[in-house]
Amino acid sequence: MSPAAPTPAGSAPLSPLIHLIDDDAAVRDSLALLIGTVGLRVQTWADPMAFIDGFDRQGIGAIVLDVRMPGISGLTVLDTLAAQGVDQPVIMLTGHGTVEMCRRAFKSGAAEFLEKPVNDEQLLEALQNAVRQHVRSRERHQADRRARERYAHLSEREREVLGLIVAGLTNKEIGRALDLSPRTVETHRANLFAKLEAESLAQLIRHYAALVETP
Amino acid sequence: MARQWKAFRWWILAWVALTLAGAVAIARLELAQLKDAFETNARIMHRLLSQRVVQHDAILATLALLQPGPDGPADAAPEQRLPALYPQILSAQRRDREAAWSDPAMASAEATSRQLRRATLADLDFASGRYQLVLAAQPASYALTIDLRAMVPWAEWPLDPASSPVRVVLEHSGQQFVLQPGRLAPGGWRFEFHKHLAADSQAFDVVATQTVGWAELPWGRMALWALVLAAVLAWARHGLRQRAERSRAEELLRLGQVARLNTLGELAAGMAHELNQPLTAVMASTQAARRLLDDDPPELDTARQAMAQAVEQARRASDVVGRLRRAIERPDLSGQTQALDLVEAVRRALYLLEPECQRRGVAPVIEAPQPVTVLAEPVALEQIIHNLLMNALQALEHAPADRRLTLTVDANGSSGRLQVADTGPGIAPEVLSRIFEPFFSTRTGGLGLGLSLCETLATNMGGALTAAPNESHGALFTLTLPCQPQTP
Repeated sequence: MSPAAPTPAGSAPLSPLIHLIDDDAAVRDSLALLIGTVGLRVQTWADPMAFIDGFDRQGIGAIVLDVRMPGISGLTVLDTLAAQGVDQPVIMLTGHGTVEMCRRAFKSGAAEFLEKPVNDEQLLEALQNAVRQHVRSRERHQADRRARERYAHLSEREREVLGLIVAGLTNKEIGRALDLSPRTVETHRANLFAKLEAESLAQLIRHYAALVETP
Repeated sequence: MARQWKAFRWWILAWVALTLAGAVAIARLELAQLKDAFETNARIMHRLLSQRVVQHDAILATLALLQPGPDGPADAAPEQRLPALYPQILSAQRRDREAAWSDPAMASAEATSRQLRRATLADLDFASGRYQLVLAAQPASYALTIDLRAMVPWAEWPLDPASSPVRVVLEHSGQQFVLQPGRLAPGGWRFEFHKHLAADSQAFDVVATQTVGWAELPWGRMALWALVLAAVLAWARHGLRQRAERSRAEELLRLGQVARLNTLGELAAGMAHELNQPLTAVMASTQAARRLLDDDPPELDTARQAMAQAVEQARRASDVVGRLRRAIERPDLSGQTQALDLVEAVRRALYLLEPECQRRGVAPVIEAPQPVTVLAEPVALEQIIHNLLMNALQALEHAPADRRLTLTVDANGSSGRLQVADTGPGIAPEVLSRIFEPFFSTRTGGLGLGLSLCETLATNMGGALTAAPNESHGALFTLTLPCQPQTP
């Protein structure tokens, strides 16, 4: 399966990529054209299995999935993606959606559920929201990972001190609690701020409180 | 077929068993009645005969008491007048003082009588039907010669001696006198009665015997019982079969409706998908084209491509519709019509809907002054009538009282007409004009296809279906169908 949609000129290789899965060529082509008008890149897939095996999981973007396809239901594809930890938001499209189908889709983690024929504004807005959401979630994910890496560099004593700082204790109180002199506490505190690349107490607490609470 | 025979065999077995049990009961009842009558008659005969022999004792005792006067003339003997008074007394004898009986048997009987102090039998001659009774007394002793047959009070006798089947015999010391011969037959049942007469002097044994042969059993009543039983069982079987048949027919009808709905559902789902795909493509392409044209500068080439795609997909959608129409196009029914009794068709539909009527407390009335034969396709006609009746019944559900459903069948020259009138809420005027439109329904959950289908079917058979308000309230549907062409 090759990207069939025109790639708008000037878009960076890392710009969001929309995966469009539908067994109907006409629907695929026209939806790809429509999505392309807002500058999003589109990769179309006729076969859901080929999509599951071959799409780029690292890339930023979203997935547009038809519910009714021969051989495999879109809901099954959705379940498979969720089970494999795919984090791209999925927008489901269906010919005639029932409440039950809708309920199942959302339960399996669908970001949006739209009826065919789909309104362009609805679809494009949903796609842009999904991409924005995905970018944000990836960023948050990355920040978390970096914080965890830095936290791993702390010594045992520094982690204890960090725990008490997050708990709101002053240097004097920390010294008393850990049976250390205030000067030593001060040293640990300076090292800790340097290692964690924190510029203020507020920043320190925002990024690392979650890690301390669940050692 | 084999199952039917098996079920039938059970009915036959039940009939045989019940017939046998009933016949035995009837026979036993009959025998008990016969025996009862026999014993009653025997007791009456015994009593009648006992009264007579006691009378003989009394006559002799009276004679012994009176005794002839010491100087009275011999011809003044009162005993000589007895035969005139009592037909059974053939003669009376007297043995005067110092005289002797001419017959030594009499003398011996007198001696016994003197010893027993009661009358005694002297000469017992059952063969010639007579006996002698002697009473010893002082100074004169008396004797009576009695005729056995004349002794019986025939006027009071309970049985006709000539025709009665009961044999009655008097027995004494080995001798027998047949009062009535009866008709005894070997085999069958036998009733017997034995009792001595209530006088010690003439203690004859009354023996009554009756036989009842197989031929005398109440065969007529038993046969009648078998016939009645057969009729009742046949009626019950018919009723049960009819009920089974009806429930089967209802089941088939219901299945047919479910199948039709399923087919319709499948069709609708398939149609929706088949149409949705091209519509989605058309919409996406045109919307993309509009966006491309709005661009500055407009991307004319791509927009043109998108529009071409939209046109192509619109054509695809129209192909789908055409294919669908060809697939579900109903065959022309006018070639398959046949002569059908419209009244009969109405009756059959009502029969199937009887439980529905009962459930709603509706008693449908058929007004059909004469048979009407119309040209129609049987299944289509049945479907139309069934739908009209169901609609009427559902309408009547909303009528608080006065639930009437009237079906009128009549003919008007070249066409037959069925009118279905209900007293339900009726049809609102704004609804009346749209009532035969497909997918138009006032019922929640109604598909809106029933009346539309009926109208199409009626039209295809060369008839018509119209709706109007009923006279007072409710709705009136009129189905018109062409009549059987008159054969010249």
